[in-house]
Amino acid sequence: MAKAFLTVDDVTRSFPLPKGGSYVALKDIDLQIAEGEFISLIGHSGCGKSTLLNLMAGLDQANTGGILMENRQVTDPGPDRMVVFQNYSLLPWQTVRQNIALAVNNVMREAGEAERRERIEASIALVGLGHAADKHPGELSGGMKQRVAIARALAIRPKLLLLDEPFGALDALTRGNLQQQLMQICQQAGVTTVMVTHSVDEALLLSDRVVCLTNGPAAGIGQIVPVTLPRPRQRLEVMEHPDYYKLRSELINFLQQQRRLKQHRQTLTTPTVAGAAPSSTAKAAGLTPRKVRLGYLPGLDVAPLAVGLERGFFAERDTQIIPVVFHRWQQMEEQLRSGELDVAITSASAPLALNLGLQGQGAWPAITPMTVTRNGNAICLARRFRDLQIDGLSALAERLKGREWPLRLAIGQQGSMQELLLRHWLASGGIDPDRDVEFKVLSPMAMQAALLAGEIDGFIAGRYRVAKAVESGLAYVVATDLDIWSNHPEKVLTCHEGWAANNEALLLDLCSGLIRGGQICEDGGQHDNLVGLLSRPQWLGTDSALALQRQFDLGPGEASGRRLPLNRYHGDRAHVANPAEGAWILTQFSRWGWCPFPGNRLELLGQVYRNDLCSAALEQAGLPALRPERQPIPLACGLPFDQDDPLRYLEQLPFSRTTATAVS
Amino acid sequence: MTSLSTTTRRQRRGSAQWLRSPLVSQIKAPVVCIGLTLALWQFLSLFSSEGFPGPITVIAQTWDPYIVNPFFDDGGTAKGLGLQLLISLQRVAVGYTLAAVVGIAAGLAIGLNRFLRRGFDPLIQVLRTVPPLAWLPISLLLFQQADTAAIFVIFITAIWPIIINTAVGINEIPQDYTNVARVLRLRKRSYLRDILMPATAPYVFTGLRIAIGLAWLAIVAAEMLKADGGIGFFIWDAYNAGGDSSTSQIILAIVVIGLVGLALDRLVGSVGDLVAKGGK
Repeated sequence: MAKAFLTVDDVTRSFPLPKGGSYVALKDIDLQIAEGEFISLIGHSGCGKSTLLNLMAGLDQANTGGILMENRQVTDPGPDRMVVFQNYSLLPWQTVRQNIALAVNNVMREAGEAERRERIEASIALVGLGHAADKHPGELSGGMKQRVAIARALAIRPKLLLLDEPFGALDALTRGNLQQQLMQICQQAGVTTVMVTHSVDEALLLSDRVVCLTNGPAAGIGQIVPVTLPRPRQRLEVMEHPDYYKLRSELINFLQQQRRLKQHRQTLTTPTVAGAAPSSTAKAAGLTPRKVRLGYLPGLDVAPLAVGLERGFFAERDTQIIPVVFHRWQQMEEQLRSGELDVAITSASAPLALNLGLQGQGAWPAITPMTVTRNGNAICLARRFRDLQIDGLSALAERLKGREWPLRLAIGQQGSMQELLLRHWLASGGIDPDRDVEFKVLSPMAMQAALLAGEIDGFIAGRYRVAKAVESGLAYVVATDLDIWSNHPEKVLTCHEGWAANNEALLLDLCSGLIRGGQICEDGGQHDNLVGLLSRPQWLGTDSALALQRQFDLGPGEASGRRLPLNRYHGDRAHVANPAEGAWILTQFSRWGWCPFPGNRLELLGQVYRNDLCSAALEQAGLPALRPERQPIPLACGLPFDQDDPLRYLEQLPFSRTTATAVS
Repeated sequence: MTSLSTTTRRQRRGSAQWLRSPLVSQIKAPVVCIGLTLALWQFLSLFSSEGFPGPITVIAQTWDPYIVNPFFDDGGTAKGLGLQLLISLQRVAVGYTLAAVVGIAAGLAIGLNRFLRRGFDPLIQVLRTVPPLAWLPISLLLFQQADTAAIFVIFITAIWPIIINTAVGINEIPQDYTNVARVLRLRKRSYLRDILMPATAPYVFTGLRIAIGLAWLAIVAAEMLKADGGIGFFIWDAYNAGGDSSTSQIILAIVVIGLVGLALDRLVGSVGDLVAKGGK
């Protein structure tokens, strides 16, 4: 993309409500527009399209974030950012010529009388209104008024043209003609344009990129669709272009998914309101035990939970968290499904896998309100591979080439984030995970023993488990997740959609406590305290202290090994439930042929990744609520993942076994 | 039988033709109703023991000189109705013009400034309800002179609706127009001339129209109490004279006052329509 002409940087706009509180119209909008580009903003009514346009015009100010045009902040309106308003905003007491003259005379103060007059007449001629120049707007049709408004805007040669539903009030015929005219005019003038519209066809005909906004409140950018149709475009020719219907259905699909999401949220919250009343009174009477049964597997990932319980972050909000320990992921998931557990700290891929019914048990509507930890995985191989000089992926690939027997690697759970990372890593080195490797599902606690018994050649697990194996001289580290996808989501909170809707306050208490716990875990000065806490019997056990002290040493067990930071428990956007990361997980599910790539991915991701809950929890914890960034995710293999175009990403991946896309 | 009925119907339709012309159908109702009112008045006056005149008596008693010669001048205060009207209109013209100038200026200031608007609003709301005559004593104390005092009463009565409507007009300038002004960065003068004035004109003229009615109301009252000359004075003078035709003179004056008030209202209204045409 060319150098950004206009930058919308992390803009949030909220309006105070008359009864207190505020309505967040737009949240964390990031957008870059190149010079000469034509951008359309599309979305359902009330999603804040016009608010965004007004912010760009400078008619309104963002609460946080800012807008830069040519590297200067937009603070007030000005003629270099001319707006064509929704209802034309022509002055009814002035003729067409006077309306245009008002703009020209005010903006071109230095120019001579003759030059100004010439400009006015040229603008009137441009939109073909010479015969109506002396008429008042009241005597003109809607289409003619719109042409006057466009002529007025273009007469002052703005750098940025902002159109607020410019053709909304016109009949279809006038609409088509004006669209064509506008396109020609904009192309000739080379003016950068942002247009708000409801019409998918209009957006496709005119734009270079279509920016789709999600539903309000707190609307964000859901998707950006580049319109690759060749220019100059002709209305009818464009419709015959082979890409046209693909693009069109992509946009319509987005809008439909947003609408369904809206309805879905409504159906979820309506019974909650009814159900909330008795439970809140019961709570007041002290009848409802505010208890949450939370499942987990011991590991460094549970540190925020341990700290939260230790410091009483949950108790202080009158919430009792009952941690339930498991040793097998499968077992925990079954209890979560059956309702014996309310919530669980699961692998980052679990919510989507549950929704898609990947384990062959039928779909289960899981949601995730937050990411608990990021990073923290390592891949280790048995000591004998080290003796074979296998010190990295390429050496491993080389070694596997002529081998008859597949490499036996253990994973904690099928379809877990760890398996996805491991497969991705292997594939990026030219190893086909389905042919060259045999995966064994083992409890993380049993991996070391299996390695000792020679049942496996290596495994992927949390760094603590790997460090123990290294410590005992059984294995060495061949890669960490920093070599695959630094900052990937590792453990997330997962629960049933209905449970979340009915126990939102409880869930937010849990999330905010985990966030505050994570904040403490991330603090380097707390390291010794953390080790002390985690080596208690209910977490990792007393024998873990030494490994915990040394778990960061992932080398061959000698002192010179690489020391790595702990898992990421907190920090910039660490807790965000990011649908873009979910989209990557979906591509992997599809890549290994476990399920077709879902055609309604945005709807699915919107249902599963509940950023609204995450924002609320962050706010409850007294932290700024951040929205996920929209930049492509950089992966260590060199192929970045763009959430707006997952299918292309799938095509580029090695060993892709993706089947046809399922249409929603 | 059939043929007979058709002819009568046709005849009836023919005779009713003129009754359906637009002019007639428009004035038919007022003529009938006013005629009935006058007839009732005439009828009731027959039973009046004090000799209260009926409409016919009123016209007969005031025909000469009041109706046929409205501009006679016998010196002193004995003047024709037309001259008395001119005196009143002159006072109204002065007081009303002052009220319009000051009122629009004050309305502009209050409309444009939030602080002033909030500060003065209670005061304006209280003062605008004060009846015109309540101002007269203060006015006399201030100016010592009956003529000036009457003008001041007109001024103080007429100014409030002008201020209020001007201020409201400025407040009600559509956001669209102010947005255009902001985007174009219109200069103050251009903003006043091209947007503020045309957009508020309809409101200002509504205020002016209400004000002229109030001014006319006030002048008659003020003149009755303290003045030499003027239509109000004429009424009071006729009452004090207590002659045979006094009541008829008073009634005639009332009719004239009503007609002039109506004419003034329509005058300001049509000027407003003319000036503010574009704004609608």
